[in-house]
Amino acid sequence: MPIKFQNVSKLFGDLPVVDDLSLEIDDGEFVVLLGPSGCGKTTTLRMLAGLESVTSGDIFINNERLNDVPTQQRDLAMVFQSYALYPHMTIAENIAYPLRVRKLGQNERRNRVLRVAKLLEIEALLGRKPRHLSGGERQRVALARAIVREPRAYLMDEPLSNLDARLRVQMRGELKRLQHQLGTTTIYVTHDQAEAMTLASRVAVMKKGRLQQFDTPLNIYNQPANRFVAEFVGSPSMNFIEGRIEHGTFVSDVLKFPIDRADEEVSLGIRPEHVHVSTQSQDGGIPAQVYVTELMGNETFVFLSIGSQKLIARAAADFRADEESTVWVRIETAKAHFFLKRNPQITPI
Amino acid sequence: MGLLVLALLVALAPVYWMVTISLKTEIDQFARPPKWFTFTPTLEHYYDAFVTRSFSEYLLTSAIVAVVSTACALVIGTLAAYALTRFRLPYNLDRKLSLWILSTRMFPAIVTAVPLFLMMRDLRLVNTKAALIIVYTGFNLPFVVWMMRGFFAEVPRDLEEAALVDGDSRLGALVRVVLPLVTPGLAATAVFCLIVCWNEFLFALVLTQTDAAMTLPVGIAGRVTQYEIKWGVMSAAGAVAMVPILVFALAMQKYLVRGLSLGAVKG
Amino acid sequence: MPRSRRFFSAPANRRELLLPYLLVAPALAVLLALSLYPLIYSVTISLQQETASGVVWTLGHFKRLATDNFFRTAMVHTFIYAAVALAFEFLFGLILALLLNQQIRGRSLFRAGLLVPMMLPPVVVGIVWRLLLNPDFGAINGTLKWLGVNTEHLTWTASPRLALLSVIAVDVWQWTPFVFLVLLAGLQAIPQEPYEAALIDGSSRWQTFRHVTLPLLKPAILIVLLLRTMDLLRVFDQIFILTEGGPAFATEMISLYIYRAAFRFFDFGYAAAMSFVLLALTNIISVIYIKLLKE
Repeated sequence: MPIKFQNVSKLFGDLPVVDDLSLEIDDGEFVVLLGPSGCGKTTTLRMLAGLESVTSGDIFINNERLNDVPTQQRDLAMVFQSYALYPHMTIAENIAYPLRVRKLGQNERRNRVLRVAKLLEIEALLGRKPRHLSGGERQRVALARAIVREPRAYLMDEPLSNLDARLRVQMRGELKRLQHQLGTTTIYVTHDQAEAMTLASRVAVMKKGRLQQFDTPLNIYNQPANRFVAEFVGSPSMNFIEGRIEHGTFVSDVLKFPIDRADEEVSLGIRPEHVHVSTQSQDGGIPAQVYVTELMGNETFVFLSIGSQKLIARAAADFRADEESTVWVRIETAKAHFFLKRNPQITPI
Repeated sequence: MGLLVLALLVALAPVYWMVTISLKTEIDQFARPPKWFTFTPTLEHYYDAFVTRSFSEYLLTSAIVAVVSTACALVIGTLAAYALTRFRLPYNLDRKLSLWILSTRMFPAIVTAVPLFLMMRDLRLVNTKAALIIVYTGFNLPFVVWMMRGFFAEVPRDLEEAALVDGDSRLGALVRVVLPLVTPGLAATAVFCLIVCWNEFLFALVLTQTDAAMTLPVGIAGRVTQYEIKWGVMSAAGAVAMVPILVFALAMQKYLVRGLSLGAVKG
Repeated sequence: MPRSRRFFSAPANRRELLLPYLLVAPALAVLLALSLYPLIYSVTISLQQETASGVVWTLGHFKRLATDNFFRTAMVHTFIYAAVALAFEFLFGLILALLLNQQIRGRSLFRAGLLVPMMLPPVVVGIVWRLLLNPDFGAINGTLKWLGVNTEHLTWTASPRLALLSVIAVDVWQWTPFVFLVLLAGLQAIPQEPYEAALIDGSSRWQTFRHVTLPLLKPAILIVLLLRTMDLLRVFDQIFILTEGGPAFATEMISLYIYRAAFRFFDFGYAAAMSFVLLALTNIISVIYIKLLKE
């Protein structure tokens, strides 16, 4: 079902935790709310779920206004960060709970539970209690409970953050596949930009309660709306070089090149993959000092300094350079983004 | 270590002595030097107390009053405790209410005993079990609310939110999700209330003077202030009076400290 | 982010908004009827007196209180009782708690056994000790005589000189376990780290006790002192059985005196006035304790 947020705000006392949020989500989309902690993404999710009241604005699902509909009647399913499994019930009872509450018959309940358990490969766990399950298993049970009643949308609040790194990556893939199979609208909250990038059809980046950008992951990566989005998305994060545009030239401590723009104080943003390093000087680059290199196995991160400016570059896996040694840096100026210093909030020029 | 053994002896010897008195013939009771171990036990005093005299009646009254008032206090108090833990009432009412509840726990009993007696007298409820049940419910209610609040606060909010999103009503969530998780707390609180009711003396003394309505403590005390003190009978009654309490207390050891310190110290 | 995670802030329909009030209402009603109303009633009758022309509002009872020597004596006894009993109960309780805090074999057995005195119905405690303290056939005098002590003057609860002491001793016997239990729980709640840090810093046992154990035990100590003080000031049950305030008023306590005024002399107004004073007293003391606890 399509979901729409229209000028939604939430105030705690005088503090706007969500500030005039407007978002339109299509049916079947996987939308991720991304941002640092305190940006209002979880509050937004909870308002949609009906666990927080809306201070102003409207929330619609399939054109039905949700604001005054009580939580239990919204027909949305939620996966909590802590999974919120009922400790005194078996796994089967946990999954069956939403059906039980809707007074479904025992046979129908059992069938649906088994079906969902098979889908998530947890049939063997049905008779156990939550405390005997591992983190990954609990997470699947929480998912099963959400799926079993075929709701209008799934709401997920950082469901992977309690898992260890390997399991997280594995579950990410499974979640994505599951959502494609089921085709239900999903709203997913996380502070992990890698999760957002890999899972979402569109990402809504939020900061301090305000929406920064709502677009596909690729667009957010390649055309960030402002400096915050540019810095937040991408790992390692974007490099920034402070400078200004004067008489058709970008001038800074690090480099100069012609650019056809108005005079202005700007920050130049360039992603590490567009910063090329070489140990040979003939490539005509800028000399830089190596601070440290990180061998990732499939590539190498090179931490550089040019004067007082620090940069990160992505290099091939076999790139080697000693600390304090000099290397040559070439920046792909065509891929640079410019952010106005006086107002980093607006779209880069 | 030796000190501990000594303390244990000091704690248990007097009780042991009373039990022996209840089992000794009258001659043995007054024996000098006192017979700690060397006597032939007899059950005549138990028979005397519970069959000949009305102590079994007092026992029954104590039991009924304790159970009924505990049940009432539990139901009323648990509901209130849940509301105070989970809902934000305006003007900080929930905090003020909680503090008031705590303070009523600290009242000297005599302060309310006098007016309650007068109130019961006006309602013609003196010398009835009903009067005691009502008063004991009022007595135990603050304790139940205070204890259950602590137990409810330990249930993560997430669980109730999940239940709501899953489609359950607030009350449904309370019954199906929260209550099962506080059952041990409920049991402990119930046992405490039972103990308090069972041991209670002042209100029972004030409100019941007839055999039909007296609780066990009052029955025992009544005999003491008379001329001829039948120590055997008293001890027998005392021994029986203490059994349920000891059983309960041992069963609830885990929660004992919490209950006794009003939740301030987790045992 | 100022998000209060304790309360639901979800939107609710009109019916659900009423729910908390509905849940609290019965408890509130009971408390109003059985706690608040009696208090008001009590204050009312303490300020009234029956005269030939009906009921008048007067401070007569309070004036009488000010010059009532018996009341003053009862107050003095109560305070002495409370102070001495508290001191011993705290001392013994703390020692026992410190002893049992280590891993000793049969620890739970000791705990269970030491619990017994405080769980007994106060009436039974009274019986137990009347038996023991009986000058003629009680076990105490019997055993002392057997050890060669002259017990002619040791009439315990029948002796004006020894009665108060005896009663205090009984209270110490009964309630030390309570202090012990709470302090033990408090001790066991103290984490290991501060002790380990103190050891590494080179602190002696006494220093560790003074600077690590005691401060961390403070909340438990204050709670137990508060609760015991409240209980001691309103003592009634055991005294009633043991001595009924005698002999010759030697063990008269405030609660007993109030009881007597109300139910032997039927002087309800006067009793109410005295209750009021007692209540004010206990309130002030508990406020002081709570202030100390907050620090």
